[in-house]
Amino acid sequence: MDFLNPVINGFAVVLEPTNLLYCLIGVVIGMLIGVLPGLGPAATIAILLPLTYNVEPVTAIIMLAGIFYGAQYGGTITSVLLKLPGEASSVVTVFDGYQMARQGKAGTALGLASIGSFVGGTAAIIGLTFLAPIVASFALDFGPAEYSALALLGILLVATISSGSKTKALIAAALGLLLATVGRDIFTGESRFTFGSLELADGIDFVPIAMGVFGLGEILYNLEERHRAAKAPSKVTNVWPSRQDLKQASGSIGRGSVLGFFLGILPGGGATIASMASYAMEKKRAKQPERFGKGAPEGVAGPETANNAAATSSFIPLLTLGIPANATMALMFGALLIQGVTPGPQLVEENPELFWGVVNSMYIGNILLLIMSLPLVGLFVKILRVRAAILAPVTALITLLGAYTINNSMFDVTLVVVFGVIGYLMKKFGFEPGPLVLAFVLGSLLESSLRRSLLVFGGDPAGFFSRPISATLLIVFVLVAVLPGIRALLARRKASDSGAPAPEYIKEKENV
Amino acid sequence: MMHFPSRRTVLGAASAVTLLALTACGNVAGGSTDSAKYPNGPINLTVGQAPGGSTDLIARAISEGASETLGAPVPVVNKPGANGALASKEVAGKPADGQNLILLNASLITITPLAVTADEAVNIDDFDVIAGLSQDDYVLVASDKSGFKTITDVTGAGRNITFGTTGVGTGSQLAQTVLFKQADVKGTDVPFDSGKPALTAVLGNQVELATVQLGEAMPQIKAGKVAPLLVFSEERNSFLPDTPTAKESGYDVPVAQYRAVAAPKGTPQDVQDKLLAAFRETFKSDAYKSFNEQNLLTPKEISGEEVVTQWKDYAAKYKALVEKYSISLNGTK
Repeated sequence: MDFLNPVINGFAVVLEPTNLLYCLIGVVIGMLIGVLPGLGPAATIAILLPLTYNVEPVTAIIMLAGIFYGAQYGGTITSVLLKLPGEASSVVTVFDGYQMARQGKAGTALGLASIGSFVGGTAAIIGLTFLAPIVASFALDFGPAEYSALALLGILLVATISSGSKTKALIAAALGLLLATVGRDIFTGESRFTFGSLELADGIDFVPIAMGVFGLGEILYNLEERHRAAKAPSKVTNVWPSRQDLKQASGSIGRGSVLGFFLGILPGGGATIASMASYAMEKKRAKQPERFGKGAPEGVAGPETANNAAATSSFIPLLTLGIPANATMALMFGALLIQGVTPGPQLVEENPELFWGVVNSMYIGNILLLIMSLPLVGLFVKILRVRAAILAPVTALITLLGAYTINNSMFDVTLVVVFGVIGYLMKKFGFEPGPLVLAFVLGSLLESSLRRSLLVFGGDPAGFFSRPISATLLIVFVLVAVLPGIRALLARRKASDSGAPAPEYIKEKENV
Repeated sequence: MMHFPSRRTVLGAASAVTLLALTACGNVAGGSTDSAKYPNGPINLTVGQAPGGSTDLIARAISEGASETLGAPVPVVNKPGANGALASKEVAGKPADGQNLILLNASLITITPLAVTADEAVNIDDFDVIAGLSQDDYVLVASDKSGFKTITDVTGAGRNITFGTTGVGTGSQLAQTVLFKQADVKGTDVPFDSGKPALTAVLGNQVELATVQLGEAMPQIKAGKVAPLLVFSEERNSFLPDTPTAKESGYDVPVAQYRAVAAPKGTPQDVQDKLLAAFRETFKSDAYKSFNEQNLLTPKEISGEEVVTQWKDYAAKYKALVEKYSISLNGTK
């Protein structure tokens, strides 16, 4: 059992008082910023980066990691109570969580989300412990072709998960794709849609867009809503879900753990995509999909489990390969480099106390979060009861300040304001900002990967099918694309001869 | 384990951050041109790259040393965008009082202008270069599966070879496209966003070759995951003594990343002298020397005039090379 020695030593690292304290600080900040809409973990981590220069690498990463997964917990609370996702990864939780709250089951929704998050996070940590040392060979097979297939699949999922009008979701996604083309073409150096502005030469940064449409847009929209809708969140009682609710949600928690874990590992994946994929999966699996969007417990438990599992497992590519899987991991990467540690295949061997210290801190952090989130839900709700007239300007200020701090750029602040207005108008006219932001992220990934693969394949698109992973992903893509059609067909047949069993092919899809 | 931060360092960092925020928000004009009083408050060292990259790390290393000698904080301000052109243009427009410095990458002056429009290019004549810092070498690495162990394996392969670059208008792209032309090998140029993804693509054999900075490639070279074929510096790199240079192998394509500190044009000579003295003091410190070694940087602590001459020479040379082989760095062949 020699391989367990470093794992045990890792616990010794976490249990050092300094590290424990920073872990607690991290998860508390994480939960707080998760509760407060507009300020995401990526922005918070970026803001706090300068404060980590003077602590040890392992301590710094423990705290930053705590912010990251703590935010996944906290983001749920606002999603459920206020229909205001604190984090992008909690956007889908809004659909059913808020409905549950309106039915007086806010406590149940939060309880389920907490338990799901804990299970998902813990499952991912166990997976990380055993998988991290062997994952290197698998993840390297992800080349441009695989990224292209993955991005295609992601964009398709964006279209299928939207809650409102499909047409509006597609319009928002198209706008996202268009925004993704702004900036210098990385293959030719040609400037696209920059209007001669150097500020736009690198394209629009993801962070100001996310901060604008999710953060500022929401704040503006809520200010308008204040008089019409009673925004005082529903009373939270009985956070322990009933046995029946648990039973109903246990399947989705299990599936969410697995799905989230794998989507988190994949480069380009992460908590947001995992939560959306889980929601789509639960909706497609459900015997009565029409319950979704009207307060289905699975619609809360699944995505919340998946986003926590993915948040944890996205550390795998970073710590084992030095490949950041998403924006937040990119910030962690920066934090490690500032500390003089280069993440990569050598990290586990050269720096075992850092690797296992960080991994094991997540066990501790998850326990802290579980302890805090269930009994303290009431306290967090109180934070949200702070009058909008006070909270809104403060959040707006923090958002703008955060936007400035990331690149020290007033231009970014302007972008946040512009996208805040866009986000506000979108909400007002019934467009979901989710598809826009996701299509924006995936759009640039799709374009660059697709063009890169075609260069590698010598311009022959058949090359995508010559590589097993990309071929599989593309087949899944086709399946997902034609599934609604098949479902509709089956539903029509079911209507004619009632009581047909659940279709088999969905189970196959799960194994992919 | 390592050192624990004293309360003083934490406070110092916090106050530096505060000062940074204050100076960034307030009017930085500084007013006084009385250079005897220099430095007059914090000196901003702007970096056109994101935190964590090698340019940023170098800036932090010299800011730490220089702030001690100058007796003023030297906060590093990251302002990424357009390969650093954004930050350069901003600093060039600041008052020439020595309170605003920039860490320049040579490629921005020597190579990027070959790929972008004239108004996006940065002119070194807009700056007073204070001091050259170091040289960061490019190494050509081959994937394990490609089977290439030496450059002759590549030139003798007799087929089209895919190579990853760190982006359009970078030293990585210039070095490889010129090398391939000079060796008369057919190759496909696959641009990535930066060094990391290009190296990862080599590790996964999605491209067979890539040219990245030594600091990035070294862990993988040491682990035996990629084979170093050659370095593009004029002389062998002391950290990789067994790898030949492109010159030794018969190719005339000297490319490396050089870095220098500069101030807006017209900075008073005595301010420049003070800065230079502070940097020279830093160069002598053990902390800075071991920083260079850890990051595989070769010191190139030359004067500002030498930097300008050398960079202009390189710019002219690259322009001539690109024209000679009718290479277009922006892929529209």
